[in-house]
Amino acid sequence: MPIELGHFALILAFAIASVAAIGGFTFWRSGERIAQFVSQAALLQFVLTAVAFVALIQAFIVSDFSLALAANNSNPVIPLLFKISGVWGNHEGSMLLWILILVGFGAMVAVFGKNLPRDLLTLVLAMQALLTAAFTGFTIFTSNPFWRLSPAPLQGSDLNPVLQDVGLAIHPPLLYVGYVGFSICFSFAIAALISGRIDGAWARWVRPWAILSWLFLTLGIAMGSYWAYYELGWGGWWFWDPVENASFMPWLAGTALLHSALVMEKRNALKVWTVFLSIITFSLSLLGTFLVRSGILTSVHTFASDPTRGLVILSLLALFIGGAFLLFALRVSSLRLGGLFAPVSREGALILNNLFLATATGAVLVGTLYPLVLDALAGVSISVGPPFFNLTFAVLMSPLLIVLPFGPLLAWKRADVVAAAQRLIAVAALAIFLAVLISALSGVTISMAPIGLLLGFWVAFGAFAELVERGRIGRIPPMDSVRRLAGLPRTTWATAIAHFGVGVTVLGIVATSAWETELVTTLNPGETTTLADYTIAFDSFGPVNGAGFTAEVGTFTVTSTDHSTRQMQAARRTYLASGSQTTEAAIQTYGFSQLYLQLGEAVNGTHVVRLWHKPYITLIWIGALFMAFAGALSLTDRRLRVGVPKRAARQTSGAA
Amino acid sequence: MLLWLIVTIVTAIACAALYYAATARPVNAAAGDSVATNRHFQQVLAAIDADRATGKLGEAEAEAAKGELAREIMRHKAEVSTTSKGLLFGGNMAFAAILAIGVLALGTYQLVGRPDMPSQPLASRADAAQAIDIKEAVTRIEAQLASNPDDLRGWRVLAPVYMQSQRFADAAKAYRRIVALGDKTATAQTDLAEALLMQADGDASGEPMRLLQNALILDPGDVRARFYVAGELTRQGDYPAAVDAWKALLALSKGGEPWLATANRGLKLAEADGVPEEGADISAEDQNAMIQGMVGGLATRLADQGGPIEDWVRLVRSYLVLGDKQSAQQTYDAAVQAYPKTFDRADLDTIAAAGGLTLEGAKP
Repeated sequence: MPIELGHFALILAFAIASVAAIGGFTFWRSGERIAQFVSQAALLQFVLTAVAFVALIQAFIVSDFSLALAANNSNPVIPLLFKISGVWGNHEGSMLLWILILVGFGAMVAVFGKNLPRDLLTLVLAMQALLTAAFTGFTIFTSNPFWRLSPAPLQGSDLNPVLQDVGLAIHPPLLYVGYVGFSICFSFAIAALISGRIDGAWARWVRPWAILSWLFLTLGIAMGSYWAYYELGWGGWWFWDPVENASFMPWLAGTALLHSALVMEKRNALKVWTVFLSIITFSLSLLGTFLVRSGILTSVHTFASDPTRGLVILSLLALFIGGAFLLFALRVSSLRLGGLFAPVSREGALILNNLFLATATGAVLVGTLYPLVLDALAGVSISVGPPFFNLTFAVLMSPLLIVLPFGPLLAWKRADVVAAAQRLIAVAALAIFLAVLISALSGVTISMAPIGLLLGFWVAFGAFAELVERGRIGRIPPMDSVRRLAGLPRTTWATAIAHFGVGVTVLGIVATSAWETELVTTLNPGETTTLADYTIAFDSFGPVNGAGFTAEVGTFTVTSTDHSTRQMQAARRTYLASGSQTTEAAIQTYGFSQLYLQLGEAVNGTHVVRLWHKPYITLIWIGALFMAFAGALSLTDRRLRVGVPKRAARQTSGAA
Repeated sequence: MLLWLIVTIVTAIACAALYYAATARPVNAAAGDSVATNRHFQQVLAAIDADRATGKLGEAEAEAAKGELAREIMRHKAEVSTTSKGLLFGGNMAFAAILAIGVLALGTYQLVGRPDMPSQPLASRADAAQAIDIKEAVTRIEAQLASNPDDLRGWRVLAPVYMQSQRFADAAKAYRRIVALGDKTATAQTDLAEALLMQADGDASGEPMRLLQNALILDPGDVRARFYVAGELTRQGDYPAAVDAWKALLALSKGGEPWLATANRGLKLAEADGVPEEGADISAEDQNAMIQGMVGGLATRLADQGGPIEDWVRLVRSYLVLGDKQSAQQTYDAAVQAYPKTFDRADLDTIAAAGGLTLEGAKP
């Protein structure tokens, strides 16, 4: 019964979304009633989809294998956490998670957007309902997570062992919140294009949604990167895999959108560009989510794909993305240009930022899709690998990083770049000093590393130049400075912290690329090897039984330079239900650096051990955490809150 | 039926919530559209002043920004006042909308739903299936053993089931585990040897042979071990040893055992150094010998441990081919006891009926 009730709840949500979409687009001018109708519909869609999702989770927890999805992706022996996360470790369940987040955002708009202009609110929610109807329909008719099996099979076929990890419980939900959140920006853009009304207020309402999505996407990508790093056992943190690129493109475009929406909100400029970015960001999110499902791309992320599904998904993508761009082309001439500004100004700097980010997005898009297109059209199979992306990115990002610290120091409309440069002299001096010092100490020969370090320090320190400036640090008594800093708007702090995060990530990337050391050796229990000042002793090797798997575990003792010792356990697991194997790398963190150990298969009693020393690698993810934290901080800024303060709201309803 | 009642009520509640959200509003016209927008204009104005104070905007630029803002406000006012009202979303439209929702939802569920199917969580499936389905029990035991591989009792239950379902590799693993967990009796070693030689299609050389000989040291009266040892020695062509082995086996007989015929035949074969007896109809004799050989092993195993229905079918068919109707009938009756439900033994009954046996199922 619970399963069928969940199934019906999803269908009812589909019906409500379909009618709300049609009603909203037909009656959007008619004011209060239709706005209330689509708002209520948005809340109901969320509640009903949540019921459906809970029904699935419940069926997984009790191992109800009359549910085909549970029979295919679960097993009574795996731990509870993996039973739950197994719900979305497959195509059908992850579709439902995607939809749940979509309707969740719709419900948030209905709740927080009570004071938006009625026609805008109706159109936004109608667009969300249309997305919900389309993807729920797709789910119900081609990828239904509620398909039943009769008779119920005796044993589930287990969750993919690679996915039996805490990462699965965290990474997809974070990433989906990021992807799907941009649907709100997309819907706002469509609403603006349909109603023809777009002004700075529009950007003020869109920006919080863009920040929210962006911060979750940042966390999702960082989490996915760390997960791949420790679970897949390749020892790398970013592979330019098509699926990684697919999540990185909306991030780049979303970052551009954040900055351009700022210009639009403050100066009423860049309207066309911001609307365009809103559309492109969500389009890239859709591409990221569904390209892998269409069967066009194959990778670790590919769930069992079948041709019908792929065709439907591609048609839906073409419909939404193509439709949005068609609407954009038809209506763009009716959008007026906004405020004027000189090339050297805050606006100009943000345009430069957008230019580089958009080009980087384009480069990743080309690098990801070009091999596919070439293969499809000419039958020539080429591979665009990390060298292409690394080079392109270095070339595109370096100028952006050079000018980044200038941005927050420039004035709106017309700025004095020389004055800004003077304020950054101290930062530049400090960055050069540290880069030279570190390079000298670590004995780097002529390479790109010192330049990378210089850029990283420049961005990280430069991020605080505006705080130093506005806190008048060093020019007034320290306590007064603290008071001034505390009084600054949170968005100012957020800008500084986010840019600092960028610098930290750059430092991590540079350090680990330049000074990573790797050792591949054969080792037997009792033997010892050394890598980068660490002594690694292979203590013992033996079988261990775990939940749903058996493992061969190697135990190592690492002695670092200060003679402290730590244990490391690397394993090869064999999962009982599926018989498949995974490797579990052992990772030890020393400060910001990590020691990464992977145990190879035993051949004739000898073990191949791969060891990496990755200096300052955790900075890469710590930087991402800074960025995400900054996003959250700026969301708490009073001035960014959606709609109007409570007092004004009461007046509105009183007047009504 | 209960499910349909619940889903209808849920639909009705959702539709009512939608209907009242829309129609409870006294006005159907746009109201207060500009409040949020005006608030935005105020905030931009305040930000211009703040930026001028901190130097983020020059004096001239701040004035220009204010001018731009003023033009924007005027344009917005003009736009709002000229915006035409569209179609009215009245009570009738709202009713049509919820009607459409109800029809669409219930219709779609009728199309793709399975209202007839109950939930079958593992716990209830296990309870319901206990009497009928041995595989369910296997699932549970396997699950338990995965978390506690030292459970000797679990392996003891599981191993014969694996043998019966002809999963010899799994059976060997289970029996090996039993031996490893401390059961070093003759039976345990013979069991393991049997699983291994079944897995190797009857080849008992190497480890199984060692195990069998171990078992015989522990228990010289282990019939199964003697049988397999004798068979293997014959297969390997070690006829003097085989003769002794067959004799040792026959010495254990109390008469009337199902393996007697096979053992005698084996002894003759070994005594003749592997050359089959001269006879009128060698090929038929050979064929019968083969069948006899198989029958002996099968009958022993089925009588001792039972087995899948296919094995019973094989045994009955073999007896019928050999013309031993009495044994066929006995085997059939034993099979009926092992598989009381006619559903399970459709093939068996067909063969038995064709062979002229008395059918259990013929009784009312």
